[in-house]
Amino acid sequence: MRRPLRPRTAGAYALLGVTAVLIAFPLLLALSYSFMGASEIATFPPPLFPKAPNLDNYAAVLASIPIGRYLLNSFIVSTAVVIGQLLTASFAAYAFAFLVFRGRNLLFFVFLSTLMIPWEATIIPNYMTIRSLGWLDSYQGLAVPFMATAFGTFLLRQAFLQIPRELWDSARIDGASSLRFLRTMVIPLARPALGTVAIYGFLSTYNQYFWPLLITNQTLMRTTQVGIAQLRDEETLRWGLIMAGVIMVAVPTLALLVLGQRQLIRGLTAGAVKG
Amino acid sequence: MRKFAAFALALSVVAACGGGGTGGGGGTTDESAQAPGKDVKPAAKIVWWHAMSGVNGDALNKIVDGFNKSQSNTKVEAVFQGTYDDLLAKLNTALASNAAPALVQVYDIGQRYMYDSGQVVPMQAFIDRDKFDTADFEPAVINYYKYQDKLQSMPFNASSAILYFNKDAFKEVGLDPTKPPQTFTEVADAAKKLTKKDASGQTVRFGFGPSIYGWLFEQLLATSASPYADNGNGRDNRATKVVYNNAQGKAILDWWKAGLDGGYFYNPGIDNNGAANAFDAGKSAMYIESTARLRGHINTAKFEVGTGLYPRPDAKPKDGGNIIGGASLYIMKSRPVDEQQAAWEFVKYAMTPAVQAQWQADTGYYPIRKSAYNEGPSKDWSTKYPQFLTAINEIRDSPQNRFTNGAVLGVMPQARARTQKMIESVLLGKETSQAALDSAVTEMNTQIDSYNKANKP
Repeated sequence: MRRPLRPRTAGAYALLGVTAVLIAFPLLLALSYSFMGASEIATFPPPLFPKAPNLDNYAAVLASIPIGRYLLNSFIVSTAVVIGQLLTASFAAYAFAFLVFRGRNLLFFVFLSTLMIPWEATIIPNYMTIRSLGWLDSYQGLAVPFMATAFGTFLLRQAFLQIPRELWDSARIDGASSLRFLRTMVIPLARPALGTVAIYGFLSTYNQYFWPLLITNQTLMRTTQVGIAQLRDEETLRWGLIMAGVIMVAVPTLALLVLGQRQLIRGLTAGAVKG
Repeated sequence: MRKFAAFALALSVVAACGGGGTGGGGGTTDESAQAPGKDVKPAAKIVWWHAMSGVNGDALNKIVDGFNKSQSNTKVEAVFQGTYDDLLAKLNTALASNAAPALVQVYDIGQRYMYDSGQVVPMQAFIDRDKFDTADFEPAVINYYKYQDKLQSMPFNASSAILYFNKDAFKEVGLDPTKPPQTFTEVADAAKKLTKKDASGQTVRFGFGPSIYGWLFEQLLATSASPYADNGNGRDNRATKVVYNNAQGKAILDWWKAGLDGGYFYNPGIDNNGAANAFDAGKSAMYIESTARLRGHINTAKFEVGTGLYPRPDAKPKDGGNIIGGASLYIMKSRPVDEQQAAWEFVKYAMTPAVQAQWQADTGYYPIRKSAYNEGPSKDWSTKYPQFLTAINEIRDSPQNRFTNGAVLGVMPQARARTQKMIESVLLGKETSQAALDSAVTEMNTQIDSYNKANKP
């Protein structure tokens, strides 16, 4: 089945390759810096590759912050947020896409308009709510405020609208409840969209800085991004150390994404041949 | 994080409207009434928010451990809260719902803002109540944190700005490494000699490469004996305008611009770390920065690092000198009196000479008390880094007046950012120096006006 590359395809690949290197460059440089000592990074012109690669920076990160605990916290919170978002967004999107009720469009626009409220404006009310619930320094406090997503609902509604209306009609005729239709038909068919919502939700939670900083005071409840900030010196930036921290935080996420992507593609193509 | 600083400012308006300021207070009145009674038993636990990360964070935790072991009444819990800006934003959120801690570390330029919040028990209250002796405290440091001659907070980490130079490069071009340049002209002349080009005419080493950093401009104004703001740099009374669009301000910008045009100054942009890296890498042979970077340079640079006095005008005005920088500790009014009491106990411990000397050795900030220099760790430090003496002598030799006390403004973070924009536009040739000064001053004065209107004392 293998055909020789046509010149146009080869050109496209070359272009894609260059773009890929450009996009990956900061990450690759971070990886390279994480193996260098401070004086090596300071030389001019800046070196691209470590002359004497060593793991000192990694050891220093492990010695100065409980990075394992931070990673665990970030994973627990991000996973909880993803599960919460998938549940709430798929239910809401199902209602907006399939159910007919009075004021549906109005309600949908109200939903969408919450996207326009800057998150910063809601920090203080959110903080006060979490505090009065006694959720400071807790996983609930870190995760619950982000478990509903207008953006995810919007995305899923658009995906659900792609599902032929006839499917719904026949399911109803066969006596399937809404919940059953959602579970057996909509969710499997909209898997790529659900995957997008999941990845987006996971990454944005994983990368949060200010909210975790705001509502946590105990070291044991803090998350990875706060940990990275802890590696930074006020007066002298130790790039090698910070980059080692960044790599340690980024690698698990990357691994998860790579695995998740395979799942996603499987989801996309499963049953594609049978139609 | 700039967004959060602006957000913190917006909140300060709310906080101050509700709370009201602590009022002026005369020059000699006793403030002890504002402190809890002497017999109040210190709380069993207090929380301290700080912004010290990395090496400095470890040094800070060492102080806390030391305090917790030294007595059994109070346990201090130190909590890292991000950068100084993050901490202030978090403090505001917390104050709105009564979740602030008893003790917070706030940066130098947050001083007026803390005062206007009306949420602070002035440190002077405790000092007056206990007749706590501050006679051997560094005057330059303690004066920085005074408003109307009352100490609002306790200085904790202090640094100042000095000239760093590459001794090897000095020797190479025949300059005397024991006599670093001191005046604007001397710096420019040395920079010309130090600038080196390769065969293709590309500059491989610049003479002088300061970052566009508002703090450095403030320091240059102070060595020029010029005020930054009115009302005694905002220390006799709240400042109503900034005034640096004067001859001294213009001379600073013209000197900077001429060096850049002449090709012997290097412009790293608004990038303090970039300027420090360029110095470490030998790309610039001199630059000006905080003393807190000294140890980093000595450990990283592959040449001998020299330190000298901060540049000043050729006339060397005798009223000119350097301002300190750093951060200080505030005891918060919103906590119960027993917690305030405990916070004060901790502050006193942190100010003991032995603790101060260890803090110096661990961080490179300088001790707040002169007697700390007699302690072992401090002596070892001075032996190891003799360059450090430049910094401390410079600050001690600075005359104490309103120029060298430094400016206090409620909108100081914004004012600093605005001067950076101003310097940049001059260096890039977008505006003449006088036009840039005037437009920066006009714009800042509008901001000061609205801040002052929103925060009526």
